[in-house]
Amino acid sequence: MGVPMSQMWTVATYVLRQKLAGRKRYPLVLMLEPLFRCNLACAGCGKIQYPAQILRKNLSVEKCLAAVEECGAPMVSIPGGEPLMYPDIDRLVAELVKRKKYVYLCTNAILLKEKLDLFTPSTYLSFSVHMDGLRDEHDEAVCRDGVYDQAVPAIKEAVARGFRVTTNSTLFDGASPLRMREFFDEMMSLGVEGMMISPGYSYSKAPDQEHFLLQSRTHELFARMLSKPKKRWRFNQSPLFLRFLMGKHDFECTPWGNPTYNMFGWQRPCYLLQEGYTKTFRELMDTTPWENYGKKSGNEKCRDCMVHCGYEATAVDYTFSSMKGFVETVGVTLTGKL
Amino acid sequence: MTLEGWVPEVGQYLTLAEVVEFAFDYRGNTTLVKADGTEVVGYIFNRNTYGPEPFLEYFDESGEGPFTLRYSEVANIKFSGKDTAAGNSWRAWLERKEREKAEKGAATGSVRDPDPHRG
Repeated sequence: MGVPMSQMWTVATYVLRQKLAGRKRYPLVLMLEPLFRCNLACAGCGKIQYPAQILRKNLSVEKCLAAVEECGAPMVSIPGGEPLMYPDIDRLVAELVKRKKYVYLCTNAILLKEKLDLFTPSTYLSFSVHMDGLRDEHDEAVCRDGVYDQAVPAIKEAVARGFRVTTNSTLFDGASPLRMREFFDEMMSLGVEGMMISPGYSYSKAPDQEHFLLQSRTHELFARMLSKPKKRWRFNQSPLFLRFLMGKHDFECTPWGNPTYNMFGWQRPCYLLQEGYTKTFRELMDTTPWENYGKKSGNEKCRDCMVHCGYEATAVDYTFSSMKGFVETVGVTLTGKL
Repeated sequence: MTLEGWVPEVGQYLTLAEVVEFAFDYRGNTTLVKADGTEVVGYIFNRNTYGPEPFLEYFDESGEGPFTLRYSEVANIKFSGKDTAAGNSWRAWLERKEREKAEKGAATGSVRDPDPHRG
């Protein structure tokens, strides 16, 4: 597994505390979007299509920290936009590390090399570099040539300077399992701590509406890609989530697992759907009609979604909800057999 | 399909609440025509119809806000700003890549450069 023991312990004790407190719904990872600006315009991304005055705006560090406190999740993922374009990213990260939050700073790594000096290596900080495949596939996914060749040296530099580095990859229809297996080899040889993979979501605002994976294709792709996983591959995510992607588990979505906060407020109901905003986290949790989301609800927008932000929290909750789930997780973690 | 440039006719067949829903889903600035006849340009990012008095929220053209307007204060919404989700930049990228592939194919004598990586 690609997750350090200290982080596993923090997450495990947090989830158990929620269970002991009888909380049915609890957040696991806060998705904190301090800005929507990005230096790329990827085909599958539906996050950055806003008028100029919105793209120019930044959440203040104070508002970010207040959201982190309000939410209480042990992990904070900072997507965006491109977080390294956020002018106070160093102060925000330092404050989160001070609060012992596990931070995943999601970046396309274009600015990583020049911004590394702003950060100090820490167990609590991981650069999660967006890599959608080997050179050809990645550059095509991000709609710009040369990005892969910018990201690779930045990853090497960050690893060499003692930072935790992971990769995050979004897969679309047409991805080649064999090429992805080569990609996993390549990323591990760069020295990354672990990899995160997920199928893409069919954002209604994404420019490319044709290549999102349907559920059956997702199972097929991930089952082929992850069959007989190599020992050197490490994934920085729940092994049960990977088994779910391979069709070995039938999980239901946990839309409140990764709540999203940005300049509009708390996004209802999840990181992917934008059906409105609330002023407070409590209001989000208490007033969202959760029964309208997830596969069982019959909601068309949820039908083919198998994205990590909805299902990884389910997998983690499953691990701690029964002995069966716990034993399965430990077994997969120790043997590496998915 | 984009609503860019649309000026709805609020009336019997199209309610203001429906127009607000379209505007909430629109990724561009709109012109809010107020009941008093004044206009303000901004990006509508939220609406709430649950309470006794439905309202919408927006940031104005300079990014100031958020401001709140009750539905009763709004007469109409014009889809006046550019639709940033219309996908034009991505289409341009695709066209350029197709052109490059065709040029490469012509140079090497093949009809079209096949992509061996895609399943």
